Amino acid sequence: MSARISRRNVLRAASGAVLALPLLPSLGTRAARAQAEAAPKRLVTMYTPNGVIHDGWWPTAVSSESEFQLSSSHEPLRPYKDRLLLLGGLEMKVAADGPGGPHQRGIGGLFTNMQLGEGVFVDGCGRTAGWANGVSIDQRVAAVIGAGSPVASLQLGVRATENDVQGRISYAAPGMPLPPLATPIDVYKRVFQNFLPPATTPDEDVAKRLLAQRRSVLDAVAGEFAALDTRLSTQDRQTLDAHLTLVRDVERRLSLGIGDCAKPAEPPVLDPASEADMPKVAELELDLLSLAFACDLTRVASFEISTALNRIRYPWVDSLGEGHALSHSGASDADAKAQLLSRQNWHSSLIARLFDRLAVVAEGEGSVLDNTLLFWGNEVSMGTTHTHDNMPFLLAGGTWAFRTGRYVQYTDSTNNRHGDLLVSILNAMGVEDTTFGDARYCTGPLSGLV
Amino acid sequence: MRLWSWGFSAASLLALGAVGCDQAPAAHPSPNATAGTAGTGMTAPQSCETPSPGPAPLHPLTRFEYDNILRDLLGDTSEPARAFPPENEVDGYRTNANANHANPLLVQSYLTAAESVAANAVQSRLQSVAPCADGVDSLACGRAFISSFAARAFRRPLSAAEAQPLSTVFELGNAESYAKGVELVIQAVLQSPQFLYRVDSLRAPTPETGAIALGGYEMAARLAFTLWGSVPDQALLTAAESGELLTPADVEREARRLLADERAHDIVRDFSEQWLDLSRLDGAVRDGTTLDVNVLNSSLRLSLTHFLDDAYFGAEGGFQRLFTSPSVWLDDTLADVYGGNAPGQGFTSQTLPEPRAGLLTQPALLALLSHSDQTAPVIRGVFVRERILCLPVAPPPPTVNAVPPDPDPTATTRERFRQHTEQEACSGCHRLIDGVGFGFERYDQLGRYRASENDLPVDESGEIVASNEDTLDGPFSGAAELAERIAQSPRARDCLATNWYTYTFGRQEQPEDACSLEQLKTRFRSSGGDLKELMVGLTQTDSFLYRPAMTEGP
Repeated sequence: MSARISRRNVLRAASGAVLALPLLPSLGTRAARAQAEAAPKRLVTMYTPNGVIHDGWWPTAVSSESEFQLSSSHEPLRPYKDRLLLLGGLEMKVAADGPGGPHQRGIGGLFTNMQLGEGVFVDGCGRTAGWANGVSIDQRVAAVIGAGSPVASLQLGVRATENDVQGRISYAAPGMPLPPLATPIDVYKRVFQNFLPPATTPDEDVAKRLLAQRRSVLDAVAGEFAALDTRLSTQDRQTLDAHLTLVRDVERRLSLGIGDCAKPAEPPVLDPASEADMPKVAELELDLLSLAFACDLTRVASFEISTALNRIRYPWVDSLGEGHALSHSGASDADAKAQLLSRQNWHSSLIARLFDRLAVVAEGEGSVLDNTLLFWGNEVSMGTTHTHDNMPFLLAGGTWAFRTGRYVQYTDSTNNRHGDLLVSILNAMGVEDTTFGDARYCTGPLSGLV
Repeated sequence: MRLWSWGFSAASLLALGAVGCDQAPAAHPSPNATAGTAGTGMTAPQSCETPSPGPAPLHPLTRFEYDNILRDLLGDTSEPARAFPPENEVDGYRTNANANHANPLLVQSYLTAAESVAANAVQSRLQSVAPCADGVDSLACGRAFISSFAARAFRRPLSAAEAQPLSTVFELGNAESYAKGVELVIQAVLQSPQFLYRVDSLRAPTPETGAIALGGYEMAARLAFTLWGSVPDQALLTAAESGELLTPADVEREARRLLADERAHDIVRDFSEQWLDLSRLDGAVRDGTTLDVNVLNSSLRLSLTHFLDDAYFGAEGGFQRLFTSPSVWLDDTLADVYGGNAPGQGFTSQTLPEPRAGLLTQPALLALLSHSDQTAPVIRGVFVRERILCLPVAPPPPTVNAVPPDPDPTATTRERFRQHTEQEACSGCHRLIDGVGFGFERYDQLGRYRASENDLPVDESGEIVASNEDTLDGPFSGAAELAERIAQSPRARDCLATNWYTYTFGRQEQPEDACSLEQLKTRFRSSGGDLKELMVGLTQTDSFLYRPAMTEGP
């Protein structure tokens, strides 16, 4: 945290590192350009499932908003205590009803503030729902601040293997979920692979020719879409129109290139389903995210650790129970509680790992971390009740928008809306909307943050 | 998927009702009319005399199909779709059209795959992929390549409007080299919607009403996708071209030919993987062995593949064998864990000394349906009811303590799980579930046979209740007896047929599917449970042979 390194020096320092990935990349002239402009802002939405053990989540020894002890769950974030904003007492009203069960409604509403549509996904309690009926906040933000990024946004997943509403936190549009990348190599390929066609030389003329060829190929592809168009039903045509729009968007972003950012070494191939690989998958995905942020290849990411109904063990923190089952046992069972607390602690340690990497990259007068906001949420408050009150919400990172280093407890029932928090996050990211998602659960920015 | 979300105990149970478990659970409890699981509660409309196909939406290729097609079209076995994002699943099936749309990651993955596959094809296999004899004009070779390759990739001859963009991009590349022209054409074809989507419905130039019989090429594509998970071969395309693929008899003839091909085994594997949710075995840790989890699980999956191959395609194959075959396929790894002889190389079919009866007692399935440290009677019971018998089970209330009871060296699993059926609030549902699940108590969390548990005798008595089938209901002793009863059950046969239907047509059943489902079930039953006939039967349904008219104007 202390001595920040210039991007160039970081490159030199990292070149001799024995890490699987260099700690930080070369940024070359991009750094100079970025410093001449206002520093970009970045957003991370993070999800962990099944609620929390509240006794062990919220701060203790609270004598004022800014005087408190972090709980064991947030111990790894102690070096960043002045960058944390713990928000107690917020209610996620959007998840109170509508189609689906509490896990489904919660994960669907968490980052969209919209209820689920009717649909075909069956939850653990036999209820059914479709996808969330709205864009998620990361995608709303990406549409504004990520429009010029080579990678529009990144969706990272760690054993997030429920391939339905319960495994998706990011929505490009109502009913249009974005799947998470499952392993570091997938993230690596998404961020670094396609900017030049495979097996090319760094020769600029060659690169230009290859990009021109790619454009011609995609022109031909567009011609094929047009040839099919008139013979389809209206619904099928809409499906293909949306696809073609994505083709053009991918092409445009790939043509932006990765500038002078040095391509890091390929991460190791890890098993997305493996218990043994799980910590490394999470860590290396975040390392790659820190590279993508530092290189300004993307400005928005979501990060999803498993899914609500998981049966995953965390042996590396001595938790041999299965995730969802443990959460149902909760605070009344001492062993289950200890296991859940150690999981919460590990989740915090991942944020600390990301922050460690962002904090050492100089940007303007500060660091990349100074310009990154992370919002960590959960789809239910606690596993024993599946309610959506007193949600375990945490903001962390940059201090430009909110007064951090605080634990704010909302007790006024008219001012405790999760939807309002999302509006405040939007505003912090430079999106000047006054509402987000379902207006019934949203009155404007949340008070007490700035 | 629902199955895995089930809770297990009720130690801290609050007041709750038994949510309707005492009623006959024939229909799905969902309020949404279209949301049924693979149920059997659907009733056919009064008449199926006129064709009544279900909807025919655009299907994006699954990863399985994509890789198969590249193998068949270009000889590319690199399986690039392994790097694609996973399909969204409905009822466990990745084929669902309505749940799967393009997204940026998928579109970028298509581009990545197209570029690397095309480069590889021209670098290593140009002469076989796009032959061009010495002295022949490369433009002529390019035209020939486009009309042959793209037609196979698109599953039909190209229109002029479809050929033109490919010619343009070929000529651009050909200015550099013939190989480059071919490479760019491959790239464009592999990113075209005619390739990436199964387009079953192309509007006729005249207004449509009623059920529309499929044309030969559409039929050829449906056949190849349904039975191979790939594109038609030349014989299918030839039959389509010559008008020999229009009648149900034509389709049946070709279906039988396709089923005799090795690729039909792949489709059984892909279906079964989703039906049984086998991907849950990846990374699953089970106590009781020091073997590497990936080594063990990979052997278990292969063992099950051998078993299913035998049940579907073996000389004695069929539904009966699927549920009662005593055979288990073992390699050295599995012989070490489950007993039997180490074959030295590969897998051999063996009959172990203990009772084994078909699918439900295959080591892979039993290990899948377990906790890491103990068996999972509830998960096993729910699996049999929902996936094998299409009997949806009502949910546990959210307030239950769902932690399985800790292993206890002084008690059996059955004793520890007993409170389900002793507490009145739980017993309404759990008597439906646990009675089935306890029947598997002879098989531990690895699926190994056990004579005793913690030196206590194992009680493997069980009971099926409220199945809506008299011959299925009643007490039984052990998995073999349960399996025998399932093997005789019309409900179980219908359930398998319904699962195949959901997988094949890639959507949840709609009211319009009732006739097709009935056709399939009837054929399967009257075949005496011949699994190959079940697969042929898929191609003889209204939903296969027809599509609904497009009612809106062009």
